[in-house]
Order: sequence, then structure tokens, then C-alpha cells
Amino acid sequence: MDNTIKLSFPSDPRYLGVIRGSIERFAALVGFDEEDCRWITLAVHEALTNVIRHAYHNKHDQPVEMRLRERDGGMEVTLVDHGTGVKPEQLAGRDLEDVRPGGLGLHMIREIMDETLYSPLEGRNELRMFKAKGSKTMAQENER
Amino acid sequence: MNIATRKQGTSTVVDVQGDIDLYNSPEVRKVVLDELKEKKVPRLIVNLSGVRYIDSSGVASLVEGLKVARTLTSRFILFGLSPAAREVLELSRLIKVFEVYLTEEEAVKAP
Repeated sequence: MDNTIKLSFPSDPRYLGVIRGSIERFAALVGFDEEDCRWITLAVHEALTNVIRHAYHNKHDQPVEMRLRERDGGMEVTLVDHGTGVKPEQLAGRDLEDVRPGGLGLHMIREIMDETLYSPLEGRNELRMFKAKGSKTMAQENER
Repeated sequence: MNIATRKQGTSTVVDVQGDIDLYNSPEVRKVVLDELKEKKVPRLIVNLSGVRYIDSSGVASLVEGLKVARTLTSRFILFGLSPAAREVLELSRLIKVFEVYLTEEEAVKAP
């Protein structure tokens, strides 16, 4: 059996705090420092809110599966939903110079994670994200 | 999450405690917009010192408050950002569009 934890839960925002706790503790177990644990948790949380809002259109009783896995000196997170998919080319971050609410989640995910792979399949969407230990977010790089 | 408002001189302070995420950011949005649009407060100060976590939906609520405040020529001020809240605002490159202070005293006295 590989080093994977699988969680299944409904698309109810009420549970997001519980899920964040799991992600943060798994990241700490893998060996990320406190700051990286917060970043990873934020990225995965944002991906989950996208599933709830866009794949499931805010329906709170739909199935979500999350897999947390140690691999290649880092952490891989996979989210699976069965809602409305979008074409990968539609997942464009917006211009942050335009100060307005909304559209920030995707930007955050891409800034934080090293790899993101979105696979919309028939009736099943999968988002796989990977963060390597020691890699920095773009914001951290800019601080240097 | 708990949210409450109080008067502090000519300012109104919104005290938020807990996490602001997709589950409860609509409540933050409602309180902020109600103070600005209905009560027409001239200076709205959001106390984030009790906020451990904020996500993009929470940030969006604050951005909406800022935009409404600008339209109504009210002040919209944040103070007491935790490291996590500051990181999120920096990552979204919005830290520079908000008026941010460390303490309530600074926020209330800001010219």
C-alpha cells in the first residue's frame, strides 16, 4: 500500500475547516515547515471551493474525493468530482491589476503549487497538484 | 466565526473572530455592505486580529467593501492582520490597495 490517505466528503462548505485541518497536518507530516503548510492548505482549499462553486454550482450534497500522497520528496493532492467540467484552456487566471472581487483562487493555486494538472473526463473531473519540499511560491521568490 | 459591530468615536469597527471562508464570507459581506450602504458610516474599520484564516472568497468580500466605500466616499480600513491573512492579501497582490494598520488605535486615528 502506498503512502496515500483518501477522504470522501460532501460538497458542503461547512466541512471546509475540517478538511483544511487534514491537509495542514498531512503537509506537516511530510516535512513542510509551518509557512509552507499554510500555503499548501490554502491552495487545496481554493481548489475545493472551485469544485463546490463551479463544478457543483453550490450544491452541498455532491461527492468529493481527496487523496493526499507523499511522493518524490513532496506532497501530491488529487481532487475528484463528478460535476460540470471546464476545458483546461478556460482555466486562465485573471489580471490582478484589475481590482475586483472573484477569480483569485486559481491564481493562488498556481502561485503556490509546483505542478497542477486538470483532467476533465466524461462525468469525472480530476485535479492533481504537487508541491516539492524546498520550492518557493512566486511571492516568496519575489521577496528575495 | 463570530462577527460584531461597535462604535468607536466617528468610526464603526467590525470585529471578526475565526475563519473567513466560503462557508461564512457571505455573512462578512452582508455586515460590511449593510454598514456602508444602509447605515452610511463614514469610516468602516475591519478588525482582523481574531481571524486565523481567510480564503479568496473572504478577500473578495473585503474588496467589494472597499469598492463600495470608494463609491460612497467612505473610508474602509483593515487592522490586526495575522501572518496568514497578510500572506493571502500579498499573494493576491491586494495588500497595497487596502488601507492597513497594525492596531485599532492607529486605524481610528488615521488622518
